[in-house]
Amino acid sequence: MNWESIFNVGLLQNTLRTATPVILAGLGCLMTEHVGIMNIGIDGMMIVGAFVAVLASYFLGSWLLALVFALLSGVLLGLFYGLFVVKFKSDEFIIGVALNIFAGALTVFLLRTIFNVKGAFSDPAIVPLPKLSADWLESIPLIGPLLNNNTLLVYVSWVMVLVCWLFIYRTPAGFWLRAAGEHPQSLRAAGKSPEKMKYLASVLCGAFSALAGAHLSLGYLTMFSENMSNSKGYVAVACVIFGRANPPLVFLAALLFGFIDALGTRLQSVGVDPTLTKIFPYVGTVLMMVLLAIRERAKKKAAQAAK
Amino acid sequence: MKKIVALLLCISMCLSMLCVSAFAEDVPSVAIVVAGGLGDRSFYDSANEGLEELASKYGAVTKVIECKENGSMYLTGLADAAEACDIVFAVGWQFVQALPEAAEGYPDTKFVWIDNALEGDGMANVMSVVYAQNQGSFLVGYIAGKLSKTGVVGAVGGQDSATINDFMVGYEAGAKYANPDIKVDTRYANGFEDPASGKECALALYDAGCDIVFAVAGKTGEGVFEAAKDTGNYAIGVDSDQKYINPDVIICSMVKEVGKSVVDIVENLDERFQPATIWTADMATGYIDVGYGDDTMTQQVSDELKAEVKALQEKIISGEITVPTALN
Repeated sequence: MNWESIFNVGLLQNTLRTATPVILAGLGCLMTEHVGIMNIGIDGMMIVGAFVAVLASYFLGSWLLALVFALLSGVLLGLFYGLFVVKFKSDEFIIGVALNIFAGALTVFLLRTIFNVKGAFSDPAIVPLPKLSADWLESIPLIGPLLNNNTLLVYVSWVMVLVCWLFIYRTPAGFWLRAAGEHPQSLRAAGKSPEKMKYLASVLCGAFSALAGAHLSLGYLTMFSENMSNSKGYVAVACVIFGRANPPLVFLAALLFGFIDALGTRLQSVGVDPTLTKIFPYVGTVLMMVLLAIRERAKKKAAQAAK
Repeated sequence: MKKIVALLLCISMCLSMLCVSAFAEDVPSVAIVVAGGLGDRSFYDSANEGLEELASKYGAVTKVIECKENGSMYLTGLADAAEACDIVFAVGWQFVQALPEAAEGYPDTKFVWIDNALEGDGMANVMSVVYAQNQGSFLVGYIAGKLSKTGVVGAVGGQDSATINDFMVGYEAGAKYANPDIKVDTRYANGFEDPASGKECALALYDAGCDIVFAVAGKTGEGVFEAAKDTGNYAIGVDSDQKYINPDVIICSMVKEVGKSVVDIVENLDERFQPATIWTADMATGYIDVGYGDDTMTQQVSDELKAEVKALQEKIISGEITVPTALN
C-alpha cells in the first residue's frame, strides 16, 4: 500500500480547509454554550452569511464590504435569535430548527429572485477573499505549504481562537458571560444583567457563524450554492460539546473532524469503499460524543469516590 | 377580505383548469420530477431545457418538481406530478423504489424513467431511457489520455452507482485507448449537490498527480472546475456543454442530450412510448456527443485531436469499437 499518497501535505491542507468553517462556527456556538443556550441554528446563520457575502461581493465588488455585510447579517440573525430565546423565552431547539429551515428557504428564494438562477450562483464578478502567503515560509518543508496560500479567514480563525479564549477566561465580560450561564442569580446580585450577556453571546454567535458562511462562499469556493453549509453547523455544535466550549479544545476538535473527512477522501485511492468513507466524519462525531460521555462518567465517579 | 381572497382563488383555480382542458385535446401536459435540484448546469438543467422547449413550441402545460435528493420526496414528487400531468419524466436513477409504486398508483399516467432501466417487465405505463454515456465518456477519456502530461487522469463521481460507473468505465477505456500506460484515478463525492465536496475530491486527485479531471457529479462538479482553476489544471464537463462555465479550464464536455430525448419522446409519443421497454439513446442517434463550447472560447483540444475523436466516434457508431459498460 502506498501510504505516501495518503499521508502527505495535501492531507493536512485539506484538513485545514475543511476545519476552518467548523472552527469559526464553533467559536460562535461556544459563546451561546457558555450562557447556557444550546444553539443549533448555527447552520442557518452560516448559510445566510454565505449568501449575503456573495451578494455583497457581486454587487459591490469588494471582499471587505462582503465581510462587513455578512457580519451585519449575522449580528441581525443573532439579535433575532436572542429576541426569541432570551426575551420571549421560547424553546431554543425549536427556534434553532426554525432558523435553519427559514434560512435555507430564504436563501433559495432570494437566489431565484435576485440572481434569477436556481441551485447555485457563480460569476466572475464575485470577488473572492484574498489568499495570503509569505515567501520566506515557502522554504520550510511541511510548515511552508501548510501555512502559506490560505484565504484570509483561515488566519483570522486562528487569531480568533486565542482572542475568544482571552475574552472568556481573562476578561470581566467573559466572566459575566460564563456567570450568565452557570449562575445567573449571582450575576444579577452583582448588578449585571444575565439577559444582556445572553444577547451578547447570541450576537457573537451570529457574527462568527456568518463569517464561517462567508468563508465557505468566498474563501473555500467562489460561489453560492443552495444548502452549501451541508450540516457543518451541526458538526460545529458537536465540536463545541466535545471541546467543552473551550476555544483551543474546540479548535482541536474541529481539526480532528477535518482530518477524518480529508482522510476519507484519500482512503478511496487505496480501494476503501466510497460509501464507507463518506460516513467517516459522522462516525467520528459519534465516537467523540461517546468518548466524552465516558470521560464525564469517570469524572463523576471519581468525585463521588472523593466524597 | 377573506371572502374576496377565497373567491379570487376559486376563480384562478377554475381558469387554470380551463387552460389544462384546452390543451388536453392535442398537446399532453408534461412533468419532470428531478431527483436533485435545478441549477446544476448539467444533467437536470438539460432535462428542464427539453421541458421548456415543449412549453414554448407547443404551449404544453408543464410542471417541474425538485426532490433535492430527499428520499422521502421521490414518491410524493412522482405522485404530485402524476396528479397534474399526462406524462411524467422521472429524471435520475434514484427513483428505483418510488417509480414502480407511483406507476402502479397512477395507471393512466405515462411514466418515463430517465437514466436507468426498470428491471423486469409488466409495467404497462412505464418506459425507460438509458444513455450510452460510456460511449461519450470513452471519447473524453481519449482526449484526456492524449492531453495528459503527467500520465495520470482522474474522475470525480457523485456517487458510487451503476450509472455513474458507466461513465467511469468508458472514460478509463478511452484514456487507455489513447495511452495504454495511463493511470486513471477516481473519487466519489458526497452526492450531486455539494460543490465543496467536489472541490476536495478534485484537489486530492490533482494532488495525486492528475492533470485532467472528469467531473461526473452534476452540481458537485462546479467544485471540480474551481479546483482546476486554483491548481492550474484542466477539467472535463458533463451532461451539458459546460465549457462556458470556465473556458480556460474546461477543455471539453461529455454531452448527454437529456432535453432532446424528452422532446423527442413527447413529440413522437405513439412511436417512442413503448411500455416496458428500454430505449438506449446513444451516439448513433445523436444523443451522446462531445462539446467544445464555441469558437469565442479558448480551445485546448487541437483540431487534429478533434478530427481523431470524430473518427473514433464513427468507429463506435459502426460497431468497430465496443466500449465496455457498467450497465447490464
